[in-house]
Amino acid sequence: MRLNKSSDQILVYITCSCLIGLGVNLFRGEPLSILAKPIEIAEPGDELESIFADPMIREIDLTMAQNLHENGKLFVDARAVEYFNEGHIPGAIAEDDVDVLASEIESKIGETESFVVYCSDDDCGSSEDLAYELQDLGFMNIFVFKGGWKEWTEANFPVERNE
Amino acid sequence: MNSLDKYLIVIARVVLGAIFLWASFDKIADPAKFARSISNYHIVPFGLENIVAIILPWLELLIGTGLILGFMVDGSVHISAGLLIMFIFMIAQAMLRGFNIECGCGLKEGEMVGLNKILENIVFLGGAYIVIQRKKRLFEVFPKTPL
Repeated sequence: MRLNKSSDQILVYITCSCLIGLGVNLFRGEPLSILAKPIEIAEPGDELESIFADPMIREIDLTMAQNLHENGKLFVDARAVEYFNEGHIPGAIAEDDVDVLASEIESKIGETESFVVYCSDDDCGSSEDLAYELQDLGFMNIFVFKGGWKEWTEANFPVERNE
Repeated sequence: MNSLDKYLIVIARVVLGAIFLWASFDKIADPAKFARSISNYHIVPFGLENIVAIILPWLELLIGTGLILGFMVDGSVHISAGLLIMFIFMIAQAMLRGFNIECGCGLKEGEMVGLNKILENIVFLGGAYIVIQRKKRLFEVFPKTPL
Protein backbone atom coordinates (compact mmCIF):
# COMPACT_ATOMS: atom_id res chain seq x y z
CA MET A 1 0.00 0.00 0.00
CA ARG A 2 1.70 3.23 -1.17
CA LEU A 3 -1.00 5.53 0.18
CA ASN A 4 -1.22 7.56 -3.03
CA LYS A 5 -4.81 6.55 -3.67
CA SER A 6 -7.76 8.09 -1.78
CA SER A 7 -9.21 4.65 -1.03
CA ASP A 8 -5.98 3.52 0.69
CA GLN A 9 -5.84 6.72 2.73
CA ILE A 10 -9.51 6.37 3.73
CA LEU A 11 -8.79 2.82 4.87
CA VAL A 12 -5.84 4.04 6.99
CA TYR A 13 -7.90 6.83 8.59
CA ILE A 14 -10.80 4.50 9.44
CA THR A 15 -8.53 1.75 10.78
CA CYS A 16 -6.57 4.19 12.95
CA SER A 17 -9.80 5.77 14.27
CA CYS A 18 -11.18 2.36 15.23
CA LEU A 19 -7.96 1.33 16.99
CA ILE A 20 -7.47 4.63 18.84
CA GLY A 21 -11.16 5.04 19.71
CA LEU A 22 -11.57 1.52 21.07
CA GLY A 23 -8.16 1.66 22.78
CA VAL A 24 -8.84 4.97 24.54
CA ASN A 25 -12.32 3.79 25.54
CA LEU A 26 -10.81 0.67 27.10
CA PHE A 27 -8.61 2.77 29.38
CA ARG A 28 -11.27 5.29 30.40
CA GLY A 29 -12.31 5.35 34.03
CA GLU A 30 -15.82 4.38 32.98
CA PRO A 31 -15.59 2.84 29.50
CA LEU A 32 -18.65 3.21 27.30
CA SER A 33 -20.21 -0.16 26.48
CA ILE A 34 -19.87 -1.08 22.81
CA LEU A 35 -23.65 -1.35 22.44
CA ALA A 36 -26.00 1.12 24.15
CA LYS A 37 -28.38 -0.33 26.70
CA PRO A 38 -31.86 1.21 26.73
CA ILE A 39 -33.14 2.74 29.97
CA GLU A 40 -34.78 0.13 32.16
CA ILE A 41 -38.55 0.47 32.17
CA ALA A 42 -40.22 0.60 35.60
CA GLU A 43 -43.16 -1.81 35.62
CA PRO A 44 -46.46 -0.86 37.29
CA GLY A 45 -46.13 -3.88 39.60
CA ASP A 46 -42.72 -2.80 40.93
CA GLU A 47 -42.52 -1.99 44.60
CA LEU A 48 -42.08 1.79 44.82
CA GLU A 49 -39.72 1.47 47.75
CA SER A 50 -37.48 -0.98 45.94
CA ILE A 51 -37.39 1.36 42.98
CA PHE A 52 -36.47 4.29 45.17
CA ALA A 53 -33.76 2.30 46.93
CA ASP A 54 -32.17 1.40 43.61
CA PRO A 55 -30.02 4.22 42.25
CA MET A 56 -30.89 4.22 38.55
CA ILE A 57 -32.49 6.18 35.77
CA ARG A 58 -35.73 4.45 34.78
CA GLU A 59 -38.37 5.08 32.19
CA ILE A 60 -42.00 5.37 33.29
CA ASP A 61 -45.28 5.48 31.40
CA LEU A 62 -48.23 7.86 31.73
CA THR A 63 -50.04 5.86 34.43
CA MET A 64 -46.95 5.67 36.60
CA ALA A 65 -46.24 9.37 36.05
CA GLN A 66 -49.77 10.17 37.16
CA ASN A 67 -49.39 7.98 40.28
CA LEU A 68 -46.10 9.63 41.20
CA HIS A 69 -47.62 13.06 40.62
CA GLU A 70 -50.51 12.22 42.91
CA ASN A 71 -47.98 11.00 45.50
CA GLY A 72 -46.39 14.46 45.44
CA LYS A 73 -43.19 13.56 43.58
CA LEU A 74 -41.25 16.48 42.16
CA PHE A 75 -41.53 16.89 38.37
CA VAL A 76 -38.73 18.56 36.44
CA ASP A 77 -39.50 20.01 33.01
CA ALA A 78 -36.53 19.59 30.67
CA ARG A 79 -37.93 21.92 28.02
CA ALA A 80 -36.76 25.51 27.62
CA VAL A 81 -38.26 27.87 30.22
CA GLU A 82 -40.26 29.74 27.53
CA TYR A 83 -42.20 26.53 26.75
CA PHE A 84 -42.50 25.74 30.46
CA ASN A 85 -44.13 29.13 31.08
CA GLU A 86 -46.70 28.43 28.38
CA GLY A 87 -47.84 25.31 30.22
CA HIS A 88 -46.45 22.51 32.39
CA ILE A 89 -47.37 19.69 34.74
CA PRO A 90 -48.64 21.27 38.00
CA GLY A 91 -45.90 21.80 40.54
CA ALA A 92 -43.11 21.11 38.03
CA ILE A 93 -39.95 23.18 38.00
CA ALA A 94 -37.73 24.20 35.08
CA GLU A 95 -34.45 26.02 34.66
CA ASP A 96 -32.26 26.41 31.58
CA ASP A 97 -29.05 26.33 33.66
CA VAL A 98 -28.52 22.75 34.86
CA ASP A 99 -26.41 23.80 37.88
CA VAL A 100 -29.12 26.20 39.08
CA LEU A 101 -31.70 23.48 38.49
CA ALA A 102 -29.63 20.98 40.50
CA SER A 103 -29.41 23.43 43.43
CA GLU A 104 -33.18 23.95 43.27
CA ILE A 105 -33.89 20.20 43.28
CA GLU A 106 -31.45 19.66 46.14
CA SER A 107 -33.02 22.42 48.22
CA LYS A 108 -36.50 20.98 47.63
CA ILE A 109 -35.96 17.23 48.08
CA GLY A 110 -32.24 16.53 48.59
CA GLU A 111 -30.11 14.23 46.46
CA THR A 112 -31.50 10.83 47.39
CA GLU A 113 -35.24 11.44 46.95
CA SER A 114 -36.63 10.41 43.57
CA PHE A 115 -38.12 12.79 41.02
CA VAL A 116 -39.50 12.72 37.48
CA VAL A 117 -38.00 14.39 34.41
CA TYR A 118 -40.03 14.98 31.26
CA CYS A 119 -39.79 16.95 28.00
CA SER A 120 -42.13 17.61 25.10
CA ASP A 121 -42.74 14.09 23.77
CA ASP A 122 -41.34 10.65 23.12
CA ASP A 123 -38.84 11.94 20.55
CA CYS A 124 -37.42 15.02 22.27
CA GLY A 125 -34.51 13.31 24.06
CA SER A 126 -33.80 16.25 26.38
CA SER A 127 -35.43 14.54 29.40
CA GLU A 128 -32.97 11.67 29.05
CA ASP A 129 -30.03 14.04 28.54
CA LEU A 130 -31.04 16.06 31.61
CA ALA A 131 -31.51 12.88 33.66
CA TYR A 132 -27.95 11.78 32.88
CA GLU A 133 -26.58 15.27 33.61
CA LEU A 134 -28.37 15.32 36.96
CA GLN A 135 -27.15 11.81 37.73
CA ASP A 136 -23.60 13.02 37.10
CA LEU A 137 -24.27 15.82 39.60
CA GLY A 138 -25.19 13.28 42.28
CA PHE A 139 -28.92 12.62 41.86
CA MET A 140 -29.51 8.90 41.63
CA ASN A 141 -33.25 8.18 41.76
CA ILE A 142 -34.52 9.64 38.53
CA PHE A 143 -37.57 8.65 36.51
CA VAL A 144 -37.85 9.67 32.86
CA PHE A 145 -41.43 10.16 31.71
CA LYS A 146 -40.88 9.58 28.00
CA GLY A 147 -44.39 10.48 26.84
CA GLY A 148 -43.82 13.89 28.36
CA TRP A 149 -45.93 17.00 27.95
CA LYS A 150 -47.68 15.71 24.79
CA GLU A 151 -48.94 12.51 26.40
CA TRP A 152 -49.91 14.34 29.61
CA THR A 153 -52.01 16.95 27.80
CA GLU A 154 -53.54 14.39 25.40
CA ALA A 155 -54.77 12.51 28.49
CA ASN A 156 -56.42 15.76 29.65
CA PHE A 157 -54.53 15.70 32.94
CA PRO A 158 -54.33 18.99 34.86
CA VAL A 159 -51.86 21.62 33.67
CA GLU A 160 -50.48 24.84 35.07
CA ARG A 161 -49.42 28.07 33.37
CA ASN A 162 -47.13 30.86 34.49
CA GLU A 163 -48.81 34.21 33.93
CA MET B 1 -4.61 28.42 -11.60
CA ASN B 2 -3.74 31.90 -10.27
CA SER B 3 -2.16 32.46 -6.85
CA LEU B 4 -5.49 33.56 -5.34
CA ASP B 5 -7.05 30.22 -6.30
CA LYS B 6 -4.06 28.33 -4.87
CA TYR B 7 -4.27 30.06 -1.53
CA LEU B 8 -8.07 29.74 -1.46
CA ILE B 9 -7.61 25.97 -1.68
CA VAL B 10 -5.12 25.97 1.20
CA ILE B 11 -7.37 28.21 3.30
CA ALA B 12 -10.42 25.99 2.59
CA ARG B 13 -8.38 22.93 3.56
CA VAL B 14 -7.08 24.38 6.83
CA VAL B 15 -10.46 25.87 7.85
CA LEU B 16 -12.26 22.59 7.11
CA GLY B 17 -9.61 20.75 9.13
CA ALA B 18 -9.96 23.17 12.03
CA ILE B 19 -13.74 22.70 12.04
CA PHE B 20 -13.45 18.90 12.24
CA LEU B 21 -10.70 19.14 14.84
CA TRP B 22 -12.72 21.54 17.00
CA ALA B 23 -15.89 19.43 16.62
CA SER B 24 -14.08 16.33 17.85
CA PHE B 25 -12.88 17.68 21.23
CA ASP B 26 -16.15 17.69 23.20
CA LYS B 27 -17.17 14.36 21.70
CA ILE B 28 -13.88 12.72 22.70
CA ALA B 29 -14.17 14.21 26.21
CA ASP B 30 -17.72 12.91 26.74
CA PRO B 31 -18.59 10.03 24.39
CA ALA B 32 -21.62 9.06 26.51
CA LYS B 33 -23.21 12.44 25.89
CA PHE B 34 -22.39 12.20 22.19
CA ALA B 35 -23.97 8.71 22.10
CA ARG B 36 -27.18 10.15 23.58
CA SER B 37 -27.14 12.91 20.96
CA ILE B 38 -26.85 10.29 18.21
CA SER B 39 -29.63 8.26 19.83
CA ASN B 40 -31.96 11.27 19.76
CA TYR B 41 -31.90 11.18 15.95
CA HIS B 42 -33.63 7.76 16.07
CA ILE B 43 -31.70 6.55 13.04
CA VAL B 44 -28.96 4.25 14.40
CA PRO B 45 -30.33 0.78 15.21
CA PHE B 46 -29.43 -1.96 17.75
CA GLY B 47 -27.73 0.33 20.27
CA LEU B 48 -24.90 0.99 17.79
CA GLU B 49 -24.79 4.69 18.79
CA ASN B 50 -22.16 3.84 21.39
CA ILE B 51 -19.67 2.35 18.94
CA VAL B 52 -20.25 5.32 16.61
CA ALA B 53 -19.65 7.70 19.54
CA ILE B 54 -16.43 5.87 20.43
CA ILE B 55 -14.93 5.91 16.91
CA LEU B 56 -16.38 8.88 14.97
CA PRO B 57 -14.80 11.67 17.09
CA TRP B 58 -11.34 10.16 16.55
CA LEU B 59 -11.99 9.95 12.82
CA GLU B 60 -12.90 13.66 12.93
CA LEU B 61 -9.76 14.43 14.90
CA LEU B 62 -7.50 12.49 12.52
CA ILE B 63 -8.96 13.91 9.31
CA GLY B 64 -8.97 17.41 10.84
CA THR B 65 -5.28 17.06 11.67
CA GLY B 66 -4.58 15.59 8.22
CA LEU B 67 -6.30 18.48 6.48
CA ILE B 68 -4.45 21.13 8.52
CA LEU B 69 -1.03 19.50 8.17
CA GLY B 70 -1.53 18.44 4.56
CA PHE B 71 -1.20 14.76 5.40
CA MET B 72 -3.13 12.27 3.22
CA VAL B 73 -5.40 15.12 2.11
CA ASP B 74 -7.24 13.08 -0.54
CA GLY B 75 -8.44 10.54 1.99
CA SER B 76 -9.29 13.08 4.67
CA VAL B 77 -11.21 15.41 2.37
CA HIS B 78 -13.25 12.57 0.88
CA ILE B 79 -14.13 11.32 4.38
CA SER B 80 -15.02 14.85 5.48
CA ALA B 81 -17.31 15.28 2.45
CA GLY B 82 -18.95 11.92 3.19
CA LEU B 83 -19.47 12.87 6.85
CA LEU B 84 -20.93 16.27 5.93
CA ILE B 85 -23.42 14.64 3.54
CA MET B 86 -24.36 12.19 6.30
CA PHE B 87 -24.82 15.06 8.81
CA ILE B 88 -27.04 16.96 6.35
CA PHE B 89 -29.15 13.84 5.84
CA MET B 90 -29.43 13.19 9.60
CA ILE B 91 -30.46 16.76 10.42
CA ALA B 92 -32.95 16.89 7.52
CA GLN B 93 -34.66 13.65 8.52
CA ALA B 94 -34.86 14.82 12.16
CA MET B 95 -36.50 18.07 11.01
CA LEU B 96 -38.93 16.24 8.71
CA ARG B 97 -39.92 13.92 11.58
CA GLY B 98 -40.49 16.96 13.80
CA PHE B 99 -37.73 16.21 16.33
CA ASN B 100 -36.77 19.25 18.38
CA ILE B 101 -33.39 17.91 19.45
CA GLU B 102 -29.89 19.13 20.16
CA CYS B 103 -27.61 18.91 17.14
CA GLY B 104 -24.73 17.24 18.98
CA CYS B 105 -22.48 18.66 16.26
CA GLY B 106 -19.73 19.57 18.71
CA LEU B 107 -19.14 23.10 17.39
CA LYS B 108 -21.28 24.97 19.92
CA GLU B 109 -22.99 23.75 23.10
CA GLY B 110 -26.79 23.49 23.01
CA GLU B 111 -27.35 24.10 19.28
CA MET B 112 -30.62 22.64 18.01
CA VAL B 113 -31.19 20.97 14.63
CA GLY B 114 -32.54 23.40 12.05
CA LEU B 115 -32.13 24.85 8.61
CA ASN B 116 -29.14 26.91 9.77
CA LYS B 117 -27.23 23.70 10.59
CA ILE B 118 -28.03 22.26 7.15
CA LEU B 119 -26.84 25.47 5.44
CA GLU B 120 -23.71 25.47 7.62
CA ASN B 121 -22.88 21.91 6.53
CA ILE B 122 -23.54 22.79 2.87
CA VAL B 123 -21.01 25.64 3.18
CA PHE B 124 -18.47 23.23 4.72
CA LEU B 125 -19.24 20.78 1.89
CA GLY B 126 -18.43 23.58 -0.57
CA GLY B 127 -15.06 23.94 1.16
CA ALA B 128 -14.47 20.20 0.79
CA TYR B 129 -15.34 20.42 -2.92
CA ILE B 130 -12.78 23.21 -3.43
CA VAL B 131 -10.11 20.94 -1.93
CA ILE B 132 -11.22 17.83 -3.85
CA GLN B 133 -11.03 19.52 -7.26
CA ARG B 134 -7.53 20.99 -6.70
CA LYS B 135 -4.92 20.37 -9.43
CA LYS B 136 -1.73 20.73 -7.36
CA ARG B 137 -0.59 19.74 -3.90
CA LEU B 138 0.32 23.05 -2.27
CA PHE B 139 1.78 22.87 1.27
CA GLU B 140 1.03 19.15 1.53
CA VAL B 141 3.60 17.05 3.37
CA PHE B 142 2.46 13.57 2.30
CA PRO B 143 2.10 12.14 -0.29
CA LYS B 144 4.23 14.35 -2.54
CA THR B 145 3.27 12.63 -5.80
CA PRO B 146 1.54 14.78 -8.46
CA LEU B 147 -2.26 14.69 -8.63
